[in-house]
Amino acid sequence: MRPFVSSSVGLVAVSLLGVAVAGSSPRFPAGEGGVRAAAPQEAGGAREIALPPEPHSFFFTRAIYSGWGRGWGGGGGWNRGRGSWATDYPKADRQFLVVLKRLTNLDAYDLENAVRLDDPAVRRYPFLYALEVGRMDLSEAEVHGLRDYLNAGGFLVIDDFWGPQEWANFETQISRVIPGRPIVDLPLDHPLFSTFYDIKEILQVPNVGNGRRGGPTWECWDGCETPVVRGIFDDDGRLMVVINFNTDLGDAWEWAEDPWYPLQYSTFAYQMGVNMIVYAMSH
Amino acid sequence: VDRLFEALFKYRPLLFQQGDVTFATPWPLALLLLGAGAVAVAAVVSYGGAGGKATPGERTVLATVRLAALGILTFCLLQPTLILSSVVPQRNFVGVLIDDSRSMTLPGEDGRPRSAFLSETFGPEGSPLVDALGERFALRYFRFAGDAGRIPSAEALAYDGTRTDLASALDRAREELSSVPLSGLVVLSDGADNAGRALAEALVPLQAASIPVYTVGLGAEALTPDVQLGRIQLPRTVLQGSALVVDVVVTQRGYRNRSVPVVVEDGGRRLAQDTVRLESEGEPTVARVRFSLEQPGPRRLRFRIPALEDEAVVENNVREVAIDVRARREKILYFEGEPRFEVKFVRRAIADDPNVQVVVLQRTAENKFLRLEVDDAQELGGGFPQTREELFRYRGIILGSVEASFFTHDQLQMLSDFVSQRGGGLLALGGRHAFAEGGYAGTALAEALPVHLEEPETDAARAYVEMDVRPTPAGQSHPAVQLRTDAETPPETWEALPPLSTINRIVRVKPGATTLLRGDTPGGERVVLAHHRYGRGKALAFAVQDSWMWQMHADVPLEDPSHETLWQQLLRWMVEGVPDPVEIVADRERLEPGEPVRLTATVLDSTYVEVNDANVEAVLVSSAGDTLRVPLAWSVDEDGVYTAEARPELPGEWSVAAVATRDGDVMGSAGVHLQVGPSDAEYFDAGRRTSTLQRLASETGGRFYTPADVSRLPEDLAFTGAGITLTEERDLWDMPILFLLLLGLIGAEWGFRRVRGLV
Repeated sequence: MRPFVSSSVGLVAVSLLGVAVAGSSPRFPAGEGGVRAAAPQEAGGAREIALPPEPHSFFFTRAIYSGWGRGWGGGGGWNRGRGSWATDYPKADRQFLVVLKRLTNLDAYDLENAVRLDDPAVRRYPFLYALEVGRMDLSEAEVHGLRDYLNAGGFLVIDDFWGPQEWANFETQISRVIPGRPIVDLPLDHPLFSTFYDIKEILQVPNVGNGRRGGPTWECWDGCETPVVRGIFDDDGRLMVVINFNTDLGDAWEWAEDPWYPLQYSTFAYQMGVNMIVYAMSH
Repeated sequence: VDRLFEALFKYRPLLFQQGDVTFATPWPLALLLLGAGAVAVAAVVSYGGAGGKATPGERTVLATVRLAALGILTFCLLQPTLILSSVVPQRNFVGVLIDDSRSMTLPGEDGRPRSAFLSETFGPEGSPLVDALGERFALRYFRFAGDAGRIPSAEALAYDGTRTDLASALDRAREELSSVPLSGLVVLSDGADNAGRALAEALVPLQAASIPVYTVGLGAEALTPDVQLGRIQLPRTVLQGSALVVDVVVTQRGYRNRSVPVVVEDGGRRLAQDTVRLESEGEPTVARVRFSLEQPGPRRLRFRIPALEDEAVVENNVREVAIDVRARREKILYFEGEPRFEVKFVRRAIADDPNVQVVVLQRTAENKFLRLEVDDAQELGGGFPQTREELFRYRGIILGSVEASFFTHDQLQMLSDFVSQRGGGLLALGGRHAFAEGGYAGTALAEALPVHLEEPETDAARAYVEMDVRPTPAGQSHPAVQLRTDAETPPETWEALPPLSTINRIVRVKPGATTLLRGDTPGGERVVLAHHRYGRGKALAFAVQDSWMWQMHADVPLEDPSHETLWQQLLRWMVEGVPDPVEIVADRERLEPGEPVRLTATVLDSTYVEVNDANVEAVLVSSAGDTLRVPLAWSVDEDGVYTAEARPELPGEWSVAAVATRDGDVMGSAGVHLQVGPSDAEYFDAGRRTSTLQRLASETGGRFYTPADVSRLPEDLAFTGAGITLTEERDLWDMPILFLLLLGLIGAEWGFRRVRGLV
């Protein structure tokens, strides 16, 4: 595990500026909106993430968290050097939103919305999506931010992490956030699977490569074969974290338009996505 | 003034009022006037023609003075006489009505009980007043309190009546004495009538029969020192666990600037206490007490101020109020037109409330609905209710962001009728498809809303505003908008909350509507929450789209209960008092044993249309198990209204259960609770009501007295002209005033001459 190290003083300053802007300005400032710093560990330095400029009922909000790996750096990598939080970002978000708006009558913002866990602005978005959490390494501020977010009523969806090693990392991280809470399998009769679509079976959604190839759908060979949907509940029995393990919904959203990506997986991924959002907005 | 008048004019003013003044001289009046004129002319001529040094002006003064003196002498020679109709001794009757109520045991002006005067005056030893009255009249005694009746003598008084009904007492005495010559009625009372009957009803027949009423006011106008609890307003029914905010009015005399506790108890258990600082003498001070009622069933709440030292009346420190605490679960339909976080957070806010069930119908896509908290698979299976029966099952409706065009015309009318006819509570939430933005202008639902719908803003970005939400003065103490259940929400709690957003421009409420929350924006003030009564129910407009920010926002501490409390209070208040198909009320819930109580039941069918052919029966059961069955009859005057009168005799708690049936089917049932027992009304507002007693006397031609001047009563009664009378002539030529005037004029003339050197 590579510990998180802040890259520069200037970066921290920019981060703080971003927090300050988010905390004091109206939610939807006129024009292009405010700016907020991206995760600070990337070699390319801070990336500016625009605040949404329009008022809407729903923002597909992606959690920016500290971690390691997957940042290939420069402008050519798949997450453009931002960190594992930005996997599939922003194409998956945008494509998912297009379909989401077509399937439901949700008043959703068309574009991506990435927010740091230690940014107070995250509390404006009660739905949060985080993926590749096998490489998550939360700072103390992020731990507190996420804990307060969940305790206040926020809903977190986890996606795209595989195998026991990544599970162990996630479990370690989430137990820092909400210690002592059991992680349980969600049975198919849980309302999450029937809130919008009736989902009868949990499919393993492969990444784009595996999907195109048509072979095995898992990304690793030891403990990766079976997809599960797990959950963490609060004291009142309310679901606050949904964990999509050994599956990659995000890739299906991102590559749904690819004629070689199997329709059954993208269909399932969109159905799960819609269900999770409608559930999060009503429960 | 009376004494001075009597000293100067020989008789009291009353005799002049009752009698006529004439001249008794046997000589013709014209002759007398002629003689007087001749004397006057002679006087003037003699003054004018006399020699001497007097100037014309001085002569004029002297002539005038002399003429005035001559005028007085002439007046005396005319033998002025007062003609009075005086009663024939022992041929007339006087009804003496004595207040026998509890308030007569309260202290009078001299510190002794008010009844002390009565005991002394009408006691076995007798008194000058009774003797004087007895010399002239046959006296008939009546006692009165809540009822009235003849008594052989005043010794039979017990001063234990729990009401004072002056009008009934006057009626009774007038009727009983209608066959005898009646000179008048004498009422001895503090005048603290609490029967609620208009006094004018009793005055008209007395005026018609020319029976004067003489009133003797007992006791002081203000009891000092004293603290009194005013009337306490509570809803008739309340949902279990609801936080109540009750204003208790306290009046006092003699304890200015003292702080006293106001305690609320339920069956001996203390619910709340508030300390109130007593202010101006006689002015009401309001104590605001907050508590919640957790025990279901009929409760009798006791509000009291512990007795203070030297207090004149301690009984008026306590008031009991009945309230029915209902344990049922009130069903509210929340219809949301799109997925919104409001649904999630409203559900969470009321999750801990066992008495509110929010059934959610959420449109998640075109013709696709999510149902939550439904009782069975059929409920809302067809989407939004299509029939009144289906819709009217709910007691409240929350209408989210759903456009008017979603509904049929009938459904919009049904929503309006839900409030006006069914008496339900409707809360319209803000949103992109709500209010004018949802196309509601001109619809039946817009009629029901408490706010005016302004022209919608076409540019969505411009329509969006964030507002600092603050309570209006009306909202500060309103139970629907409290953020804390244990104390009034302090201003800083509101100020600490993050702004909420709206896209619905609501700036005006309709006449009669009340704004509870306002929103401060850079562009001016907005209406955030307003309500009004619409027909039988109430409609609310809550023009925000993200009240959930008060739960989620980073500025709100996690343990802050504002969001939950607001929604719980708001929804509970919204469905408070929502009627059932069958309802029953009593015209009074506290009555004396044997006193009649009028029961009124309203019977509606499941679509809340009045039913006139139902069988309605009320069963009254006392705490001791006695049962009274009272059938209620359709009132004919009003659709769906059934009435009956019942007379529970046994003291204690009585429960009344009314059941309405039609064709053997039970349509519904309702209950009310009665407290039968002695009333404590006599101890409240128990100061002497001088104005009532004065009015009683003046409007019948009588007179008002106090114990200090009541000794004149017998003589005044003798000249009322009522009863069997004889005419009495009394000389007026020897009135002291005439001699004083004569002496004064003669002295003035002499003095004038001395001063001017004319002697």
